[in-house]
Amino acid sequence: MACIIVLSTSCKPKYSEPELSAGDINPERFVMIGDGHSGGYMDDALYFDGQNSGLAVLLGKQLELIGGASFTTRFVGENSLGANINGQARLKLDFKEDCLGNSSLSPVRSATLGDLNIITSSTFSGEAQFRNFGIPGLRILNVISPNYAQFNPFYARIASSSTSTVLSDALATEPTFFALYLGLEDCMVYARSGGAIDQLPTAEDFSTTYNLAAQQLTTNGAKGVVATLPDVFTMPYFRTIPFNGLNLNESNVGTLNSIFNPLGYSFQVGPNPFTIVDPEANEFQVRQILEGELLLLSIPLDSVRCNQMGSIFPFRNEFVLTLEEQAYLQSKIETYNASIRTVANTYNLAVVETNEVYQKLFSGMVFNGVNYSAQFVSGGAFSLDGIFLNGKGNAFLANAFIHAINKHYNAKIPALNPGDFNGALFP
Amino acid sequence: MNLKRLPIYLSFCGLLVSISSFGQAFQVNFQGQKQQGMGLAGTALYTDASSLFYNPGAVAFSNENSANVGFTPVFANILFVDSTTLNGYRTNNPMGTPFQAYGLFQLKDSSALKFGLAIYTPFGSTVQWEDGWIGRFALTRLSLSSIFIQPTVSYRINDRLGIGGGFVSSVGSVNLQRDLPLQFDNGNYGSVELSGRAFGLGFNLGVQFNATENFSIGFNYRSQINMKVTDGEAMFNVPTSLATNFPSGKFTSSLPLPQVATLGLAYKFNDKLTAVIDVNFVGWKAYDTLAFDYEVNTSSLQDTKSARDYKSIFAFRGGAAYEVSDAFTIRAGGGYGFTPVQAGYATPETPDANRLYGTFGLGYQLAERLSVDASLFYTQIQRAETNLETNLSGTFFTKAVAPGISIIYKW
Repeated sequence: MACIIVLSTSCKPKYSEPELSAGDINPERFVMIGDGHSGGYMDDALYFDGQNSGLAVLLGKQLELIGGASFTTRFVGENSLGANINGQARLKLDFKEDCLGNSSLSPVRSATLGDLNIITSSTFSGEAQFRNFGIPGLRILNVISPNYAQFNPFYARIASSSTSTVLSDALATEPTFFALYLGLEDCMVYARSGGAIDQLPTAEDFSTTYNLAAQQLTTNGAKGVVATLPDVFTMPYFRTIPFNGLNLNESNVGTLNSIFNPLGYSFQVGPNPFTIVDPEANEFQVRQILEGELLLLSIPLDSVRCNQMGSIFPFRNEFVLTLEEQAYLQSKIETYNASIRTVANTYNLAVVETNEVYQKLFSGMVFNGVNYSAQFVSGGAFSLDGIFLNGKGNAFLANAFIHAINKHYNAKIPALNPGDFNGALFP
Repeated sequence: MNLKRLPIYLSFCGLLVSISSFGQAFQVNFQGQKQQGMGLAGTALYTDASSLFYNPGAVAFSNENSANVGFTPVFANILFVDSTTLNGYRTNNPMGTPFQAYGLFQLKDSSALKFGLAIYTPFGSTVQWEDGWIGRFALTRLSLSSIFIQPTVSYRINDRLGIGGGFVSSVGSVNLQRDLPLQFDNGNYGSVELSGRAFGLGFNLGVQFNATENFSIGFNYRSQINMKVTDGEAMFNVPTSLATNFPSGKFTSSLPLPQVATLGLAYKFNDKLTAVIDVNFVGWKAYDTLAFDYEVNTSSLQDTKSARDYKSIFAFRGGAAYEVSDAFTIRAGGGYGFTPVQAGYATPETPDANRLYGTFGLGYQLAERLSVDASLFYTQIQRAETNLETNLSGTFFTKAVAPGISIIYKW
């Protein structure tokens, strides 16, 4: 018997610890500046589990493996309900009854009110110690705007003073390596508003600010990685409600045709394009939505089901991204990305093309035996808000950063296993 | 008793035996200790009642009533090193227990007609991956087992030529478990367990030709057996809100156990030294798809068809036996087998590769009618792979050692 025990233990293949390497970077003090897409904002809130599987935290963890000091984040309470800027609690999946009495699994708020401490607590006002500047709501020009803590409570939580800038706070941590993922929030403000709010920075302002940040961060010889912006229209927020989701029976068709035939639009039994408001369409400012135009997840679906929204009452502009609006934002993104690549070139930084990750999800992929896609909830990579990635999605994005760092700086940092992080949790 | 091992003993009692893979794919080549000692070869030789498996034709040249019982515990361990995270993950395989039981009878001394019954386990595999391993959504555990029961008749046509054949009925079981990428609200993943019993029929034919006193040729053909699971049970463990999407229920499936044709040569150099060579052809091409057909389908639960696309292969085996004294024999051998698993198709269930192995064996005559044989098998293989279906990418390292023992009683 003893002999058999020896045999069973002596014939295990040996695992050799991988030889990791920092390559040309000094990972000791890593800092990341970005918006909620970096800070682990997800399920439409900042909350502990989200932060803990946020892009910045994931990168920080992997850099610790090659010699980085402990990456510091100001976490919210572990059991906190989380909060968005309006104080609402994070989303979770639960059964919800619609106006027709049908119950289905939907994202619902996990409580009537979120953890208001997150958005009401006073400015941190301490010595610089956090290196995770993944700040929900951060737009690129905010990076250098003084008094920003007075406008964004998510920055106030970590700001060294009520007048400090994000960049000055980041610099105060004396970073030896940095990551910038800036500009996505700017684009999302436009996209989330259906093109109604256009505060997109000019190409010049974008470029100037990005350059300034990179220039100051590299002054002491720090190296870094910058990320271009993805095609935001791949997000489930814009892809879940189909343009032709208006299903009509004969009596509906009659009603709608009597209204819309005079405008030159007709409806048939079965799926039809929804109606939208368009000031340029005709004197009534109404038309049918075109294929390729996008309807937003912010649409109140009960109004569609029970109160003829999208049919008799056309969707307002805030719920629709027309082809023109999409093209406008796409061209902005291309401009910004060109600036980001130029900055990378100027300061010899690694570049992550985040769109590659988003496109892979959009077309669907298999990884370690799991199908991932950009489908809302079932796709497994986006959180319940349809905009921000969940833990698994962030792991894919972090792996793209790691790949870019490894390649540019001749480093060997191991990738993350997306299966180790949470996706949607089902009741 | 170690509780983790308990299910093995229980299943042994139920005659459904867990077997760790150590032939190509899930082929198990441990059916006789003498042959195992000689590199798993010996088709052209009557060794003992285990020739009922290796070559029923050779059995025609036996002249004994005998019983032969043995088993070969297998200790196989796999390490998977993921190519992206560089993490290593191991199997905690239970000990494999392939066994052999043979009975050989003749109605009178030197009769040309022999009757035999062979019970053996030529296919099987149990792979149990560690909890939470990176390939958990492809596989967490697979246990395949089969027991072949083969009544056999052999006939000596003349001093040189013998033939034999047996019908094979095979009973087996399959149990496949994997995690599902659906998380409970505590973050735990769901899982599915597919289990069922399988049944199949086939045959085993052999011809033995003693060309000279010292040189013999053997040919053996074992047919393909399609193991059919007709009444399998699929058990889904998923969050309550998804229970209707994944209804537990019946499934059907099937697995081909391939045909094997073997040409063997044996040469007796002198009274003490005998050498054997076998060339195996294994018809793995039959295993092109692993399909599961669920009785109840939903939008989330569709029938699955996974390409396996195995190819038929050859294996070359050889060894020798040396009689140190009248009572004591030593054996050694080795072989090389090509893998049936093509690039892109290696899975955590059979991370197979071309393999070289070595064996060693001993035989001892305890008494006039009682003898004992022991053998030791060792192999290690390595396979780097990105699976085309799951995109799981990394390197599998496998080591397997199998000490075996049998006793033979003759009368």
